[in-house]
Amino acid sequence: MRDCLARYRGLVWSIARRFEPSDAEDAVQEIFVDLWKSAARYDASVASETVFIAMIARRRLIDRRRSRDRRPVTEPIADEPQLAAAGNAPDTCAEASQAARVLDQLRPDQRRAVVLATCHGMSHGEIAEATGMPLGTVKAHVRRGLMAIRAALSGVREETA
Amino acid sequence: MKTHVLMHPRAEELLVERALRPLTAAEQAELAALGVDVDDDSIEIAAAAALVATTHVEPMPDEVLDRVAARIAGALDGPPVIPIDRARRRARWLVAIAAAAGIVIVIGLYARRGELAPADARAALIGDGSRALPWTATADTAAKSASGDVVWSDVKQRGYMRFVGLAVNDPTAWQYQLWIFDRTRDQAYPVDGGVFDVSSTGEVIVPISAKLHVDQATLFAVTVERPGGVVVSKRERIVVMAKPS
Repeated sequence: MRDCLARYRGLVWSIARRFEPSDAEDAVQEIFVDLWKSAARYDASVASETVFIAMIARRRLIDRRRSRDRRPVTEPIADEPQLAAAGNAPDTCAEASQAARVLDQLRPDQRRAVVLATCHGMSHGEIAEATGMPLGTVKAHVRRGLMAIRAALSGVREETA
Repeated sequence: MKTHVLMHPRAEELLVERALRPLTAAEQAELAALGVDVDDDSIEIAAAAALVATTHVEPMPDEVLDRVAARIAGALDGPPVIPIDRARRRARWLVAIAAAAGIVIVIGLYARRGELAPADARAALIGDGSRALPWTATADTAAKSASGDVVWSDVKQRGYMRFVGLAVNDPTAWQYQLWIFDRTRDQAYPVDGGVFDVSSTGEVIVPISAKLHVDQATLFAVTVERPGGVVVSKRERIVVMAKPS
């Protein structure tokens, strides 16, 4: 756990601050406890360690948000979500690079919907309210975006298998 | 990870939802009924990859690290020892429990809301302007003397099938399944309108349970399928059809 904390503390801290700017410390603790409990489920053939950790962090943060039933975004939403600069992640994993490529190819409104849903934990309704996009459009954008990333990741795994 | 080239649209929709929020018990039951591998985390992994791709990593302050490390040490008790197969079994049990809970919830909601009986709800739908389209029976043995109609509202996304003389089925051997062809969708993949049983050759009214939104229904067809229904019908046994004029 000490190694995991040392290696991924920046990533988990940054993700937690995105979802819960005012309560990130509590969230980080819960995420690392979840990681410890879920460690045996990690399968390197399914995802990289970095993405697995981000997945567990997202689950915990979404659970926390839903259980508190509060608005997910307490910080201003950027019009154009920016992709992380290369080298910012603790391990520049192939999945993140592939996801960045897919996001980069999406139209700005599509990318915004996907990022708000996946990286800020906003519901479809909250995104529609925040952006002014019709609910159906938000759902379609999120779904197509995620399926496009999924398809791209499937290609990454086949290449590395 | 399993690579699914094709996925049932409703299963895809539910898996995307699951990557964004916890599913309700009824949705988990629906997902299980669609035959989806409950361990398929591929869409959640896609969301996590997007999260990593868009996260600017900042260092955790040292004082926060010290506090978090101390709290984690206190919270943990023993090593993580959940073998993956046991964890998966547990997930399947959870789905089974959720499915049962979903059924109870649906029954409870139906009773609590005091909804109309299907015959009255069908009559109300016709009263609101929806047309009853007569079934045309095929030569299939189950449809020999079948008649009746189907009422559907694209606006309300509700409808009812009425049958008289449709063969009683043995649910352990085969079931009926409704398909709704939508003008806005690929005609090769009609919307699943629900699996149902017929327990009497007298008048039977069956609520339609469309699994996807139907923008403009152009044809209704009932097929005979294996117990539980299918995702895509081979259309080997079509028993009745109805089409708006």
